[in-house]
Amino acid sequence: MRKPDGKIVLLGDMNVGKTSLLQRYMERRFPDTVSTVGGAFYLKQWRSYNISIWDTAGREQFHGLGSMYCRGAAAVILTYDVNQAQSLLELEDRFLGLTDTASADCLFAVVGNKVDLSEEGPGEGGQEGGHGPGPAGGGGCAAPRLPKQVQPEDAVAFYKKILKYKMLDEKDVPAAEQMCFETSAKTGHNVDLLFETLFDTVVPVILRQRAQGPPQTVDIASSRPPARTRPACCA
Amino acid sequence: MMSTKAFTLVPAVEREQLMGDGERVSLECVECCGRNLYLGTSDCFVYHFLLEEKTVPGGSATFTATKQLHRHLGFKKPVNELRAASALYRLLALCDGSITLVHMLSLEPVPSGARIKGATAFALNENPVSGDPFCVEVCIISVKRRTIQVFLVYEDRVQIVRELSTPEQPLAVAVDGHFLCLALTTQYIILNYSTGVAQDLFPFCSEEKRPIVKRIGRQEFLLAGPGGLGMFATVAGVSQRAPVHWSENVVGAAVCFPYVIALDSEFITVHSMLDQQQKQTLPFKEGHILQDFEGRVIVATSKGVYVLVPLPLEKQIQDLLASRRVEEALVLAKGARRNIPKEKFQVMYRRILQQAGFIQFAQLQFLEAKELFRSGQLDVRELISLYPFLLPTSSSFTRSHPPLHEFADLNQLTQGDQEKVARCKHFLMSYLNEVRSTEVANGYKEDVDTALLKLYTEADHDSLLDLLVTENFCLLADSAAWLEKHKKYFALGLLYHYNHQDAAAVQLWVRIVNGDIHDCTRSDLYEYVVDFLTDSLDPDLVWQYADWVLQKNPEVGVQVFTKRPVDEQESRFNPDDIISCLKKYPQALVKYLEHLVMDRRLQKEEYHTHLAVLYLDEVLQQRPSASGKDADVTETQAKLRRLLQKSDLYRVHFLLVAALDWHRLARALPFLTSRSHLTDRTRGAGLPVESAILHGKLEQHEEALRILVHELADFPAAEDYCLWCSEGRAPPYRQRLFHLLLAVYLGPGPSAPELPVAAADLLNRRAAEFDAARVLQLLPGSWSVQLLCPFLTGAVRDSVHARRTTQVAVGLARSENLIYKYDKGGKEICPSPEPWSRPCLGGWSCYYGSVPAFSIYWKMLRARHRAPFCRKTGDTGSSPVCHNY
Ligand SMILES: Nc1nc2c(ncn2[C@@H]2O[C@H](COP(=O)(O)OP(=O)(O)OP(=O)(O)O)[C@@H](O)[C@H]2O)c(=O)[nH]1
Ligand SMILES: [Mg+2]
Repeated sequence: MRKPDGKIVLLGDMNVGKTSLLQRYMERRFPDTVSTVGGAFYLKQWRSYNISIWDTAGREQFHGLGSMYCRGAAAVILTYDVNQAQSLLELEDRFLGLTDTASADCLFAVVGNKVDLSEEGPGEGGQEGGHGPGPAGGGGCAAPRLPKQVQPEDAVAFYKKILKYKMLDEKDVPAAEQMCFETSAKTGHNVDLLFETLFDTVVPVILRQRAQGPPQTVDIASSRPPARTRPACCA
Repeated sequence: MMSTKAFTLVPAVEREQLMGDGERVSLECVECCGRNLYLGTSDCFVYHFLLEEKTVPGGSATFTATKQLHRHLGFKKPVNELRAASALYRLLALCDGSITLVHMLSLEPVPSGARIKGATAFALNENPVSGDPFCVEVCIISVKRRTIQVFLVYEDRVQIVRELSTPEQPLAVAVDGHFLCLALTTQYIILNYSTGVAQDLFPFCSEEKRPIVKRIGRQEFLLAGPGGLGMFATVAGVSQRAPVHWSENVVGAAVCFPYVIALDSEFITVHSMLDQQQKQTLPFKEGHILQDFEGRVIVATSKGVYVLVPLPLEKQIQDLLASRRVEEALVLAKGARRNIPKEKFQVMYRRILQQAGFIQFAQLQFLEAKELFRSGQLDVRELISLYPFLLPTSSSFTRSHPPLHEFADLNQLTQGDQEKVARCKHFLMSYLNEVRSTEVANGYKEDVDTALLKLYTEADHDSLLDLLVTENFCLLADSAAWLEKHKKYFALGLLYHYNHQDAAAVQLWVRIVNGDIHDCTRSDLYEYVVDFLTDSLDPDLVWQYADWVLQKNPEVGVQVFTKRPVDEQESRFNPDDIISCLKKYPQALVKYLEHLVMDRRLQKEEYHTHLAVLYLDEVLQQRPSASGKDADVTETQAKLRRLLQKSDLYRVHFLLVAALDWHRLARALPFLTSRSHLTDRTRGAGLPVESAILHGKLEQHEEALRILVHELADFPAAEDYCLWCSEGRAPPYRQRLFHLLLAVYLGPGPSAPELPVAAADLLNRRAAEFDAARVLQLLPGSWSVQLLCPFLTGAVRDSVHARRTTQVAVGLARSENLIYKYDKGGKEICPSPEPWSRPCLGGWSCYYGSVPAFSIYWKMLRARHRAPFCRKTGDTGSSPVCHNY
């Protein structure tokens, strides 16, 4: 097994479609998935780089593993379900903290999945220019369209919060518009765009990391992480 | 999940051998070091066994454990852990909170009584950092709260080197180099004991479930995680492998590459680290110890010890292949790469790829199969041999042993399903076609090409012919029999040809054309044979079939002679032989003679004459005697005329003799020996044009023109005659001919009203060809000037022009003469232009338009004299130049 050159981690609540997104991209299909146990990873060759992409488990039970998975990550994809407002809130409340172990110049992408389910989502037979509410598309679409609960602006706002949390200057990182996506693992909408944009932006990060050498470990006494990583079992 | 058999469980130590009587006594810990097996019991005994492995050929391994010693350690507590330090010949036994050093064989405590006190658990560093071979590094969890200690243990003493406090109480430990992997109360951490730097791994509530920390290789640990996960972590605090999913209550874990083995109260489960899948489950009740010792995995209940014997990797892979789990087999094989010497691995791996290829093939997954065959460098004959009768009978091939697959042949593989058979054949066809020119076919190109030929033949595939006409290695005997069986006679001919048996090839094709055998591969087979013979370098073969091709179609068949390269014709084919062969086929003969005369331009009188005679004969045959003069000129006739006109070689009398022999029309005519008689002959036969041409050849132009004018009244032909007859001759010759023509028009003979018109027309259009003075004498006095106006104007103009040109020339010559004299004598001369130039001016300006030719002349003179012009007046008559002339 070749050692990967860089790592990308998918985080997000259970059922938002992390596994589905990855399968859609890697295997070009949308199979039935089961809720991920523990985690899984894929190796992707991008140009001359080997990038490992970790699919994590959103279930609360495995939440504690996230920090380890994120350690040294060059990019993190924070995934929510556009039809579940709570899933975006969870990103902020539970998942953002897991990225503390990621590389200092880690990139972030915010991805709202399952747009195919909502009214304003792209129709299966091509996109429609129409905005505003009202019955969408028509014929043949089995799943009832729901009103979208999370708007792209919400994702952009969250992206800016990430930067604040990370104390990053907006000027030093890719723009929110570039790093916020609305996808559908089911139709494949924006899935390639998401991953390929990320690969392209992550390669310079990998190169920089390489130049700096392996990340330094942290002194146990001086910088114990704050108490927010209290394990679930003791809560 | 389908299961793999990766391990078998073999008993090693039965309960009777242990504590026979004591029902309540139980096994607490196990250590295995080489053949030494140590067991620690709840009643503080250490047992030493020698473990003997026996492998029955073809069967599985069995173990016998022979007890050596057992010794009480002198405490009232169970033996918690045993570890051998073989370099020191010591066994480390943890009992009642202290680690005692005992001799490995005698089990006596070291005389010094050295021990580590206050330990609840310990681990040996299998990747030690001290570099001292006479000590081992031991890390203990101290009875002191939240304390870890690191010791160096020597033969008979121990030395503490480090003590660290941990944020929480540690419960389990493993060591690799400087790194400790610790299970604390609520989480796992990595702790660098030399720097004190720690890194969180993940939370785990050790109070709820027993933590597991297990070093599995350099810098990597296996940990029990939440939700029954087996988690991997490196000393850097990251995961490089995806977790495996165990059950919730795993009490022990071990690694035997590429498997992770876990023990719970009911089962031993086996997961692959390569794909995280569970591969095997062995029911095992009440197990409580699972450990691996240098590749040997031991499980134990409180009463007995068992060895988990891994099946040889190859056997596992074979099992996977046998159950068609190609993907897994390949992953396993690839995973084994680093455990097997390179050479051996490659041989094994290739074989596995080939086997996998056959599995895919049997499922008609041809794309996958092809890729596997290719990467496994399969001897293609293995594949070919599946197809009955495809390998040549002479092939030395035998299938590899043990076999790569279970199939006798294609019929068995497809169970007789003809559609599948066809698909398999189609695959083999394309596969062989692809590999036949690559190194895959090296060494057995004959087998490959012969098989391919057979497949193409069977399938009636177009590529059969391509195969046979390009470089190939088809074996003659086998291929011929096959082609014959499938009635591919045309292809069979190609095969013969490729094997230098052209006679056999042509014979076969001739039989097809004749309808003796049937093969409709080519509808134009006759033409093909003709071309083939034309290209053939074997004159005997050509002669052998010359009659046949000529009989079928003389005009096409003659190509075997006419179309072959000239140099070859010259060296191997004598035209006279050919001509005598062609006697029976006049059309062919004509073609051949045309070829000799026209294409090859042979200057041999015989051929020219012969050809002329043949043309003539044909023309005569074509012309029904009744047909009139105005019958259309046939193609042959045109050819005849062209030949008669162009050639100077034919012998007219021979022609005539021939013609007379063959043609009854000529019988009335006397026997003729000279050229002149041909004219009669041709004319007699109603061929006036040809007669005229012949007269021309005999220089009898008057007669020729007479025929053209009087008999044929074909005036353009007559005019044309004058032109072609005089081609390449001097102008007077042509003038003579035109005068003759004019004479014929105007002369005696059957008078017709159109003749004078033709004459006038001729004169008017071709004035330049005539001498006007002579013409005027010939013309009848009755003709009006009007009629001949263009001719006369032209003639007068010509004559005036000639005169004036002459005058200018004379004038120039004179002045030249004058200048010469002046230069010699120094006498002044004043030429006066007027007297002699006056009459000329009009003429010159008339001839040269606006350019005053005279002034050019004048300037020329002045330039030569460079003398002032002196005009002498009153001097009339002739110029001074004239005087001297
Ligand atoms: N309509 C629709 N359904 C989706 C989409 N993506 C995922 N799903 C469905 O949502 C469910 C959950 O998808 P997963 O990919 O397993 O979700 P996950 O984020 O990996 O969940 P965990 O592994 O439990 O963290 C599955 O039933 C998917 O079929 C999408 O884009 N559109
Ligand atoms: Mg998942």
